[in-house]
Amino acid sequence: MAERTLSSLVPPVLEVRALSKTYSDGDRSLTVLDNIHLSVAPGETCAIVGPSGSGKTTLLGLCAGLDDATSGSVQLDGETLETLSQDARAALRGRSVGFVFQNFQLIPTLTALENVLVPMELRGESGGFAEAEALLSKVGLGKRLTHYPHQLSGGEQQRVALARAFVRPPRILFADEPTGNLDAITSETLVEMLFALNRENGTALVLVTHDPALAARARRVVRMHAGRIIADERP
Amino acid sequence: MQPLPTSLVRALFHPWAWRMAWRDSRSQRGRLALYAVSIAVGICALTAIHALRASVRQSLDTQTKNLLGTDVLVSSRQPIAQDPLVNLSSLITETGSETAFSSMLSDPSGAHSRLVQVRALEGGFPFGTTVDTVPVGAWQSLQEQHGILLDPALLAEFDVHPGDKLKLGATEFTVLGEVTKGVPRSNRFSGFASEAFIRLKDLPSTGLAGSQSLVFHHLFLELRPGTEAERKAALAEVRKSFSLKGVQIQTPEDRSETFGEGIDKAKEFLSITALTALVLGGIGVAGAIHTHIRRRVPTVAVLLCLGCPASLAFAVYMVQAATLGLMGTVLGAGLGAFAHAALVHFAGNSLPFNVAAMPQPLVILETAGAGFLLCCGFALLPLLRIRDISPTATLNARSEKVPGRSLREAGVYLLLFGLVWSVARLNGANSLRALALTASLGVAFASLTATAFGLMKFTRWIIRPSWPYLLRQGVSNLFRPQNQTLLFLLSLGLGTFLLLTTWFTQSLVLSQLKIDNGPSTPNLYLVDVQPDQTRTVRAVFEAEHLPVLEDAPMVTMRIESVKGLLLSAIEKQPQNASSLPEAKPTQRVPRWVMEREYRSTYRTTLNATETVLAGAWPPTPFVAGAPVPISLEQQLAKDLKVGVGDEIVLDVQGVPLRAVVACVRKVDWSKFNLNFFMVFPPGVLEDAPQFHLLTTRVPSGQTSGALQRTLLRAAPNVSVVDLTSILATVASLLQKAARVIQLLAGFTLAAGLPILAGALLNGRDQRLRESVLLRTLGASEQQVRAIVLVEYAALGALSELAGSLLAVGAQWAAARWIFKTPHAFETGPVLVALAISIGGSVLAGRTLSRSVCSKTPLDVLRQG
Ligand SMILES: Nc1ncnc2c1ncn2[C@@H]1O[C@H](COP(=O)(O)OP(=O)(O)OP(=O)(O)O)[C@@H](O)[C@H]1O
Ligand SMILES: [Mg+2]
Repeated sequence: MAERTLSSLVPPVLEVRALSKTYSDGDRSLTVLDNIHLSVAPGETCAIVGPSGSGKTTLLGLCAGLDDATSGSVQLDGETLETLSQDARAALRGRSVGFVFQNFQLIPTLTALENVLVPMELRGESGGFAEAEALLSKVGLGKRLTHYPHQLSGGEQQRVALARAFVRPPRILFADEPTGNLDAITSETLVEMLFALNRENGTALVLVTHDPALAARARRVVRMHAGRIIADERP
Repeated sequence: MQPLPTSLVRALFHPWAWRMAWRDSRSQRGRLALYAVSIAVGICALTAIHALRASVRQSLDTQTKNLLGTDVLVSSRQPIAQDPLVNLSSLITETGSETAFSSMLSDPSGAHSRLVQVRALEGGFPFGTTVDTVPVGAWQSLQEQHGILLDPALLAEFDVHPGDKLKLGATEFTVLGEVTKGVPRSNRFSGFASEAFIRLKDLPSTGLAGSQSLVFHHLFLELRPGTEAERKAALAEVRKSFSLKGVQIQTPEDRSETFGEGIDKAKEFLSITALTALVLGGIGVAGAIHTHIRRRVPTVAVLLCLGCPASLAFAVYMVQAATLGLMGTVLGAGLGAFAHAALVHFAGNSLPFNVAAMPQPLVILETAGAGFLLCCGFALLPLLRIRDISPTATLNARSEKVPGRSLREAGVYLLLFGLVWSVARLNGANSLRALALTASLGVAFASLTATAFGLMKFTRWIIRPSWPYLLRQGVSNLFRPQNQTLLFLLSLGLGTFLLLTTWFTQSLVLSQLKIDNGPSTPNLYLVDVQPDQTRTVRAVFEAEHLPVLEDAPMVTMRIESVKGLLLSAIEKQPQNASSLPEAKPTQRVPRWVMEREYRSTYRTTLNATETVLAGAWPPTPFVAGAPVPISLEQQLAKDLKVGVGDEIVLDVQGVPLRAVVACVRKVDWSKFNLNFFMVFPPGVLEDAPQFHLLTTRVPSGQTSGALQRTLLRAAPNVSVVDLTSILATVASLLQKAARVIQLLAGFTLAAGLPILAGALLNGRDQRLRESVLLRTLGASEQQVRAIVLVEYAALGALSELAGSLLAVGAQWAAARWIFKTPHAFETGPVLVALAISIGGSVLAGRTLSRSVCSKTPLDVLRQG
């Protein structure tokens, strides 16, 4: 109950209003997201679940300003995304957003360590090697620092991607099936890390997952179906 | 935390951009090195062409200069005061002078005599060429001893040999020999009079100077060697110093008409080849960077997701491209200088011109600079794609058109347009010609782009599910997402277009560098044939089995007045125009144009070397008493400042004759037919005192000495002018120019082919991953190869066809507007290009399918 009151007092870190996304290909059009309303408070943990193709990745992309909505608005960390230029959105992401992709998205020409360092470098911070190394060791890749993405397995790549997201704690972290490629044990470590990040730094988590166990750990579960939110549960 | 730069300029200097560019290149060094090499090939060709060009241009200029024998020829009817030379001494390296007039040359007994053009010379004229004499060295002997050198015809006519004596005025001269080649005429209008050369210091002893009515004084000035601009400035200075009344100044350019327009076109060709090499290099660069950027789309998308501003991401790859460009440029310039040195070292002696062993550093620097700029310009085109990449690409592999793209793209095209235009300008084309060249490149580019899109639509429409699988798969590769149709058409198509155009232009230029030296070109002229002697002369010709090629009546006349202004009145006109420094000295009618004797003919038709510029010929019949319609040669009409309808009064050996200009003709003086400044209609001059001019052709290699003696016995007053040596001189000069052109064209082709090969390989990546996937799904090597071959062969053939079609169009346009010759379609080169491009494409396809089968699929699939 206390948390509820808190969340209604502080401004949300993410506020989605009447968001719709339609892909039109010639004369056919496909509505992927239909009138979505969603509000995430600072430090909240929220799992988005739903069948494949229901629009989860699309929603995440729109929330992080990676794409433009057809209608509706997104407020992220106090800024209205529609009014921002691409560069301003990028800057906002650099400041306060973390992203873990369904398909890893490491930079193929950089080593594992360099991939982790990129967000810091983009912020203009020098050093950070020690932190990045420690982080990679924590996800079990202490010996693979200088390996390139194509030399790593899918799960290993995913762990590098997580380390990259954690290296500077963001205000909100979007994770698209972060444990999709991982075995149970590694998966457990990662989930621990995610929630530790949430506890220690107050990073809000928005997780898309098919894993009921992971979903269960979140304070809030949003169910999607065919582009709509059909349930918003706080068990 | 400092804010990241969002402006491109600041982003370019951001250390992270450089660090990222460095790291990003790490796993791609081999590939990037290949790109740098393809840039280097372009720059290498360009450097070599530019280095040669300076020498070639110089040699062409020397060839033209040989026509005048000096850089500047100052002529006057009055002795030329030499005081201005004091002020010009810093600009001039050598001087010479001449006094020329017509006089009688006779044998010591005085039994036989003949009117000759006497040329009394002093100084080193002609400069920069050797004079061929028989015996060898006679020209030098003339500098040192009292004597006379003669045209070969005069030796034959007087039947004298070196050592014999002939009399000129009051003095006897020892015949030192005959001049066979190499002394340009100073008097443009001295006609065909045979020439006799003596020393200027021996002239007073003849007692002839001063007694002659028509004496010409010439001053020869050799300018200090320098750049084009310095030469122009020096020339202007000379003109200013000699802007006196009655002084005329000529430069070799004024004489180049003897070569026809061939040499000018050859120079034009030089600028076209250089431009071609440059654009070819540009295609190589754009193709390489395009492929590179295509592979980098995911990386850029991730960077954008992680908060990198678009301009910083752009800067990373701009830095890479510029570094590659710089490396390629340095390598290429070095290779170019090396290729040049090697060419000179191994083939220097067989080159038709003199070349310095090493190209001038300035030329290399200039070329490298221009090449680097153009390289960056062409790289911008594919680099712009980076601005199109949206972070959404991390979620699903697609990129949308980003607003503002077309504006930026237009900007880049405008920049490229400007760059190509300025390079064309630098290479010597005038602004309009440069614009036309650039625009035609633009048109070619646009049509190839349109063809590519048309082709995609067409294949999508024509493809049927009933086609065999391999064919269907190969053809559908032409329009599926990530296809390389546009890339192929732009690189291979544009390349084919450029190379074929080079080839076509070369053959157009070559066709103009030939002088007609066939059986219908006269090489022996008979002057002063009396009307009643023509039959005798014709009989002699017939006996010797020689054709009479032309037989024209000639009537001598002078100009009395022009447009109602008497000659004397024109002379008295105030000449203040010439005292203004900026006034051109040609703004008044040169006195000698008014005073000289004209030998005019009459006929109804124009011959093949004449074209009507204004008015018509034959003229409309005229009534007795009205002015006689005549036709003037264009330069004369310009000098007299008359046009169609203007009246001229002529003095036909004492009888005034009113004439009106009815036609202005252009005469191709490079042909050796009989041509005249004034042509009359029949029915006017028949009763005037006249003589005939007959021409024939002596079979080559045969001397005309015996013929000349026979003719002189039959008709003693007839002069024979032998043109075989002049014809040979001009032919050999043009041949040299032609070899230069062939060499440069060959060079461009040699450089272009590897660049195109590189372009073919660029597209390889695109199909690699997909072919590997097919392999993984169970396709045989044969099947993979077949699919790739269908696509590559189709693209190769279509690009070549589109490029050839454009090249044929360009050739037609060039023939019509630049070279002004009839256009002949050549199928040979088109077929060769077709064979090469299909062959090349198939070969590229094979390499691709081989590398598919040589790598393990897992490697490729992991690389992403
Ligand atoms: N560029 C596009 N054009 C057309 N339709 C698209 C495009 N991108 C996504 N879609 C469609 O949008 C719908 C939602 O896709 P999305 O990736 O958001 O699903 P998802 O819920 O993340 O599924 P999964 O759990 O399988 O990852 C899908 O039906 C997909 O086909
Ligand atoms: Mg998804």
